[in-house]
Amino acid sequence: MTTLTQEPARTTAGRPRENSLAGTGKLVRFNLRRDRIKLPAWLAGMFLFVFYYGAALPQLYQTEEDLQVVTEFTQGAMGAIIAGPGFGLDDPTIESVIAGVYGLYFLLLAALMNILLVSRHTRVEEQTGRAELIRANVVGRHAPVTAALIIAVVANVLLALLVAAAMAAADLDTSDALLFGAGIGAVGLVWAGITVLTVQVSAFSRAGSGLAGAALGAAYVIRAAGDTITEGGSLLSWFSPLAWSQQTRPYADGRWWPLLLSVAFAAVTAAIGYVLSTRRDVGAGLVAPRRGSPTAPAWLRSPLSFAFRLQRAGLIGWGAALVVAAAVYGGITGPIVDAFEDLPETMIDVMGGDPSRLLDGYVSTMALSFAIVLAVFVILGLLGARGEETKGRAEPVLATATSRSAWLGGHIAVIAAGVAVLLAITGLVLGIATAISVGDAAYIWDTTAAHLVYVPALLVLLGIAVLLFGFVPGAVGATWAVFGFATIIGFFGPIMDLPQWVHNLSPIEHVARLPLEEISWTPLVILTVVAAGLIGLGLYGFGRRDLDTK
Amino acid sequence: MTTAIATSGLVKTFGPTRALDGLDLAVHAGEVHGFLGPNGAGKSTTIRVLLGLLRADSGQVTMLGGDPWHDAVALHRRLAYVPGDVELWPNLTGGEAIDLLGRLRGGLNKARRDELIDRFDLDPRKKGRTYSKGNRQKVAIVAALASDAELLLLDEPTAGLDPLMEVVFQDVINQMKTEGRTVLLSSHILAQVEKLADRISIIRLGKIVQSGTLAEMRHLTRTTIEAHTATPVSGLESLAGIHDAEVSDGRVSFAVDGEHLDAAVRHLSSFGIRALTSHPPTLEELMLRHYGDELAANANGNGADR
Repeated sequence: MTTLTQEPARTTAGRPRENSLAGTGKLVRFNLRRDRIKLPAWLAGMFLFVFYYGAALPQLYQTEEDLQVVTEFTQGAMGAIIAGPGFGLDDPTIESVIAGVYGLYFLLLAALMNILLVSRHTRVEEQTGRAELIRANVVGRHAPVTAALIIAVVANVLLALLVAAAMAAADLDTSDALLFGAGIGAVGLVWAGITVLTVQVSAFSRAGSGLAGAALGAAYVIRAAGDTITEGGSLLSWFSPLAWSQQTRPYADGRWWPLLLSVAFAAVTAAIGYVLSTRRDVGAGLVAPRRGSPTAPAWLRSPLSFAFRLQRAGLIGWGAALVVAAAVYGGITGPIVDAFEDLPETMIDVMGGDPSRLLDGYVSTMALSFAIVLAVFVILGLLGARGEETKGRAEPVLATATSRSAWLGGHIAVIAAGVAVLLAITGLVLGIATAISVGDAAYIWDTTAAHLVYVPALLVLLGIAVLLFGFVPGAVGATWAVFGFATIIGFFGPIMDLPQWVHNLSPIEHVARLPLEEISWTPLVILTVVAAGLIGLGLYGFGRRDLDTK
Repeated sequence: MTTAIATSGLVKTFGPTRALDGLDLAVHAGEVHGFLGPNGAGKSTTIRVLLGLLRADSGQVTMLGGDPWHDAVALHRRLAYVPGDVELWPNLTGGEAIDLLGRLRGGLNKARRDELIDRFDLDPRKKGRTYSKGNRQKVAIVAALASDAELLLLDEPTAGLDPLMEVVFQDVINQMKTEGRTVLLSSHILAQVEKLADRISIIRLGKIVQSGTLAEMRHLTRTTIEAHTATPVSGLESLAGIHDAEVSDGRVSFAVDGEHLDAAVRHLSSFGIRALTSHPPTLEELMLRHYGDELAANANGNGADR
């Protein structure tokens, strides 16, 4: 007995450091292999995104004056909220517009990439039980987290280099390209560190990545508020990691030192994550899961109410996020209108000649943006139903007196009703905020209507997804391609020289942009009929095919 | 005796894999029917065809007098199902899942639900994602057994349950049997089927290779005999149906075909039996005879008689 207890004690006491990292190298290689599609896709996507702006903006803004218009838009409170401190926009160049106006979106994407990456290689593995298999091998306590961090560091360095390379590939000024790229990579690194910390808290990956996402939202709000107070950012801005990258001022008067804050912050959060990870068991969280009701509520008794129950949390989350966004974007319409009034007369002529129509244009663009955001809700909703099937949870339900069409129909009904309700709420909140901001109550109804007209187009997208679900279930994800196409056509169609029939392929293109244009009912009726047909066909296909089982 | 489930010549392919290869299965109403076979033999596929979740490529299926594919919803009101690999909804508690599945079937027996939760020692307040495999299995079992369904399709229901819970399960199934319900119980745990099943079908590579009562099956197989005798045994090789005979001074062991058991024991007694042990064939041996190449032809020949 004594030898048995003493010997292992001596070995663990003798070299704990070495043991806790055993197997890290192998895990890095293993994880890279598992990520061989996802990670290159993210990096290539970011490269193309930067390259696209680099190549498209010079086409869009061919003169100095064109550029001036853009920067007029993004100055003041609105600019501070949606873009940032906007260094270098007083004397705009294509490069400073990319960094100062669009740069924030690259920062957000980099953060998202790292939240998903770290969560995927840490908590998701633990939650699925795969980490147990790994840890039962010669793999140290800290090896999985360390492996995930090593991959994150490599990915962010590559990201920084690729962003710089994209600027070079688009034939732009490369003097601050590396600084711009490093700022994006630094935000990625910060959120890799934050995610290492947050995934320790709950036993569930969704809660972990959700907390990291909430941190991103908070960082955005703090930075937006800070940048609004003082032009170029106030002390408050500096409490947000997003600001550190923006404060490097690429293509204005570039400086590297704010990135030291990013690296230090990433190191500290990751270190706290390491400490927390040693205080818990594999698979467990620091917070114990809550218990629920031992019986189901009385209303939970049909395929429809069940589909609603499954999507309820998502609907609430979407609703809350959209209400906040709509309130913010509606609240800034006042300053925007003021900015319009400051515009030189020639500029007003360029933009339609009537400042009030410019506001209508803003409202219709916001409605289009929210409709495109809700297209994501539609696709995720149907992918959720597909997940129920492939994860084996649809099987016991379909073994009850629930028909295939009732099961899938329940999910479709909740998604369709959800889209309509979310669009109505978003439009109403944006309308109220706009009405208060500019002092014109008519905007409440105009804005709500401008959003609701997109319901039939989004139902067509849902119909495409349902059709795939019925006949080629493995390809439901291909609906993302339709979404991507509709997004590009929706935002960039006007500046792209494409034949009309290509535009017509996007369901969203057939919707009148209220209140800028008059409502036209015929396309809405046709879209609704097409959506109903696609959904009916998809239901028929699902009724005839084998269920995919585990 | 009415038939609850009857399939003939059932074929189901998944790409190049022939999961069911002319399956003929008959389950009588009111019996517990053991559905035995190793992993990948086609047990789950058969049950999913019976549930109308998969569509057979060819062959006939009748269940409770209906067609599982076309009459799925009507038939599902009369049956309950426990999947082999139970997945629960992460955000729903076990109790919520039990109630929901019961209500979707058309109602569940509240008193029995509470009794079963108690007997299986299940905590119905935990969220689906926090249950262990065994507890997920219990949720599905309670949901199925709390119904008044006349037919139970159970796909390896006790995989993941501890031995104590398995005893509870056997109790409940016996209770179901006395209530006159029909149970199709798939398993590769032979001892469990042995205790519960009235009749057994053995499936291999998508075909039923043997079907009948346990007694009938034993008739087809060999009993192992070990004996101590006063004088050394001789002349065994002249008897019919004796295999693997080993004789050493005073000790003898051999296997004997069912129909020759009487003659073999009579032969032994002439040498003065001092101790005798006999082992009835276990289902393991039954299955080995089907899956072992050695006697496969012989066994199939016998199986063709019934």
